[in-house]
Amino acid sequence: MKLAADRVLGLCLIGLAAFVAVQAARLHVPFSYDPVGPKAFPLILAILLAALSLVLVLKPGSNGHWPDRSLAVKLLAVLAALLVYALLFTRLGFVATTLLTTVALARAFAAPWGKALLTGVLMAVGSYYVFTAGLGISLPSGDWLRPLL
Amino acid sequence: MKINKAFRHCSGLALLGGMLVAGGAQAQSDSTECIAPAKPGGGYDLTCRLAANGLQETGLIDQPMVVTYMPGGIGAVAYNHVNGVRKDDPNLIVAASTGAAVNLALGKFGQYDATEVRWLGALGVDYGAIVVSADAPWQNLDELMDDLRDSPGEIAFGAGGTIGSQDWMKAALTAKSADISPRDLRYVAFEGGGEALAALLGDHIQVFTGDLSELKSQLGSGKIRVLAALSEERMDGPYADIPTAAEQGYDVHWPIWRGYYMGPEVDDDAYFSWVNRLTELSESPQFAELREARGLFPMSSFGPEFDRYVQDQVAQFQSLAEEVGLSQ
Amino acid sequence: MFDFLIQGFGVALSPLNLGLAFLGALLGTLFGALPGIGPINGIAILMPLAYTLGLPAESALILLAGIYTGAEYGGRMSSILLNVPGDAGAVMTTLDGHPLAKQGLAGPALGLSAVSSFVGATIAILGLTLFAPLLAEVAVMFGPAEFFALMVFAFASMSVMMGKDPTKTAIGAVLGVLIGTVGVDSGTGVLRYTFGMAELYDGIDFVVMIIGLFAISEILLMLEHANRKDSGGDIPPLGRVFVTLKEVLFCKGAMLRSGLIGFIIGVLPGTGASVAGAVSYTTEKRLSDKEGTFGNGDMRGLAAPESANNAAAAGSFVPMLTLGIPGSGTTAVLLGALMLYNITPGPMMFSERPEVAGGLIASLYIGNLVLLALNLPLAGVFARVLTIPRWVLVPGIAILAFVGVYQLHSDLTAIYLMLIIGVFGYLLRKLGFSLAPVILGYVLGGLMEQNLRRALSISGGDLEILWRSGISLGLWIAAAALLVLPWLLPKLLKARLGRA
Repeated sequence: MKLAADRVLGLCLIGLAAFVAVQAARLHVPFSYDPVGPKAFPLILAILLAALSLVLVLKPGSNGHWPDRSLAVKLLAVLAALLVYALLFTRLGFVATTLLTTVALARAFAAPWGKALLTGVLMAVGSYYVFTAGLGISLPSGDWLRPLL
Repeated sequence: MKINKAFRHCSGLALLGGMLVAGGAQAQSDSTECIAPAKPGGGYDLTCRLAANGLQETGLIDQPMVVTYMPGGIGAVAYNHVNGVRKDDPNLIVAASTGAAVNLALGKFGQYDATEVRWLGALGVDYGAIVVSADAPWQNLDELMDDLRDSPGEIAFGAGGTIGSQDWMKAALTAKSADISPRDLRYVAFEGGGEALAALLGDHIQVFTGDLSELKSQLGSGKIRVLAALSEERMDGPYADIPTAAEQGYDVHWPIWRGYYMGPEVDDDAYFSWVNRLTELSESPQFAELREARGLFPMSSFGPEFDRYVQDQVAQFQSLAEEVGLSQ
Repeated sequence: MFDFLIQGFGVALSPLNLGLAFLGALLGTLFGALPGIGPINGIAILMPLAYTLGLPAESALILLAGIYTGAEYGGRMSSILLNVPGDAGAVMTTLDGHPLAKQGLAGPALGLSAVSSFVGATIAILGLTLFAPLLAEVAVMFGPAEFFALMVFAFASMSVMMGKDPTKTAIGAVLGVLIGTVGVDSGTGVLRYTFGMAELYDGIDFVVMIIGLFAISEILLMLEHANRKDSGGDIPPLGRVFVTLKEVLFCKGAMLRSGLIGFIIGVLPGTGASVAGAVSYTTEKRLSDKEGTFGNGDMRGLAAPESANNAAAAGSFVPMLTLGIPGSGTTAVLLGALMLYNITPGPMMFSERPEVAGGLIASLYIGNLVLLALNLPLAGVFARVLTIPRWVLVPGIAILAFVGVYQLHSDLTAIYLMLIIGVFGYLLRKLGFSLAPVILGYVLGGLMEQNLRRALSISGGDLEILWRSGISLGLWIAAAALLVLPWLLPKLLKARLGRA
């Protein structure tokens, strides 16, 4: 059996199905007015998912194009940038984190430093005002930045 | 060039929006805030707006009150937030209702129970109602209860919440007052009172346990019959013809109060200044109009008195939950 | 008989109200175009403002209705341009809308979808004017059993999307249904798959799902394309800007049929624009897709869901205005707005407050015209989004995604969930999955389970309730026909030819 992407996925999904089924079976239901109850649906889905995934394991499709090492590093870097954005979003406030993320993403998409910085500043400050003042959405301002805004 | 143009568009829109919501975003740190533990537009939003509009129109606060939304976990996210992060914020109140008390009684708010926060007071109340279709065989609560005693499994109740929710409690307490175990009922949980009402109008369920205010528009239509209001006394206005459950001999009350709580470590000064503020608000005639526009009946209970009221309610729900095997 | 409408046009055509309809349409389009931010936001912001400004009830309502209908127009823009649905109703719009943009036809696609939206909304508003009371009677005939049958029918109609890889389509749908089971079980109140996190009690939000699956995975895929030497994913320079009359006429059947489907689904309380888009798309694909062009940029595949989701949006006014029952989350907010003005929509509204009911309906007609007039010429302007360089566009998508998800709950859990779902979406897309079945499974699965269990609670476990009524029986037969006929018909035809 060659290691195809679909096979790996199929095995993962069978694992997921098992997890779903175990969790469903362990639900504590005081009482239910309908004979089906909250367990049956997830259990049926788990069985369906396992069966379909088995088909995938036995008859995998073509392998597709997977990113090479340098691209994979870039993808992970972009994901990391988004994760950092999330981690610092409320702590540093919207403007500062958006500036950082915008510059990082612009750089990842091959923008020169100057343009990336300019985009970052304009987008971070501009979008902050559009969202908060224009659309009435409250965003974390970052307490340390408040005097400047 | 094109980007310039795009920016010009953006700034135009921003300007327009800015003029529209001028002042809306000036969330200063010393202004008051109300957290609605739900998405915009729901009952908690209404509760916050009731305080925000009322306090501003009566001049009891200088700056507009900020309403923020914190949905999630039927109110648990906001409850945990106040107990964990903003424990002593003197300018923050959070909207709550009977539904929150029910969830606290069932332990649905996780590690914190009902004694954690400082219950501030209630500004209005709605009451449960027992509703059947106009062509149903039951003319009063007694007839329904007689049939229910004979064959509880033949009559389908429906309401807008799951087992253990405040909507379900109305059906459960009604059944209990006729000595029927809530577990023997036939009960259908819908997503919100509107869907349950639609099911009643379409004869899919026979009894709908809803709230008085949501029935107002239906009263004149001749399509439904309200068998009982779950209030202490008869309401006036369009509801004057609806008898209470108590006057028909069934001891079921279901007030759905709309009130607020504050963080656990708010000091007495701040707490009592809010108590006074809300008390004053509830006495003004302007506020009565606002309250009525939201379909709420008067209720004034503030400070320690309200705190006791909530604790009693929670204890009462807990014993019911234990009785039917719901507690976790 | 239509006095209320004449009175309503009198109200709606005053300069103030016309201006408000215009403003509402413009703002609504903007709110709808931003992923995750929808009409509910717009209405929730403007409702207190309209009240504070002291606008009369009918003017406030006209403003809010403009936002509501405008948002349905706006939702399609990011679907077409960025492959990220702007709102729930616009998920199916990505399927053929984005491929069209990739072929350089973004302008015509935007124009065509504006026309489709107009046609769908017009059908629904006409239906609302002429048959509202009658339809309300039909809508309440749909009980849990009928809704369950409708969901079975919807799943059966999805079989047409099986395409070249039926296994993966089915897995996608099952995964979607599974994601939909997270949260408080609506029957028993039991918590499923919440792992003690209060943030998960209400389930995984639809917005988190679509932004994660579509927007985050799109960012990753764009990075791949940008780094590939052959640059196959590049969007060609913009071709012509406007849609031609020929193209519109080519899609007229799709628009009319889908408008009707969307309206009917919108009238039913509890189902909305997303279900309407799905059923109309699959129906149209089944009827018209003879050459297998659906999914690769077929104009009819774009016209169908756009016509349907706008029709559904207008259709959901029927239960609200006639029964006082909100047909969707947004109409629930509108209902709240009306209550602020001491108007409770319901059976008595047309007789007691005809100027409000009529004004609202008239403003829907006007708002719809305004939206068409606004959107057709602007198609070219919006299509230029595609000429924005990637290094500006991608941070823009990221900002929109974060803000759209953050404003839901004002906390970070939803953002982390979005990122996880985004990686998951990227992997699925790399493995040749289509995202539409995942979304449809998520939307339809929950409705299916709840309504099955509600029906069985009513009957006390008796299965017969599921096909007792004529409506549900009809839906079951239609569902069976959808599954069996495509397989049976060719054989029957062959047998006939053989005999001849």
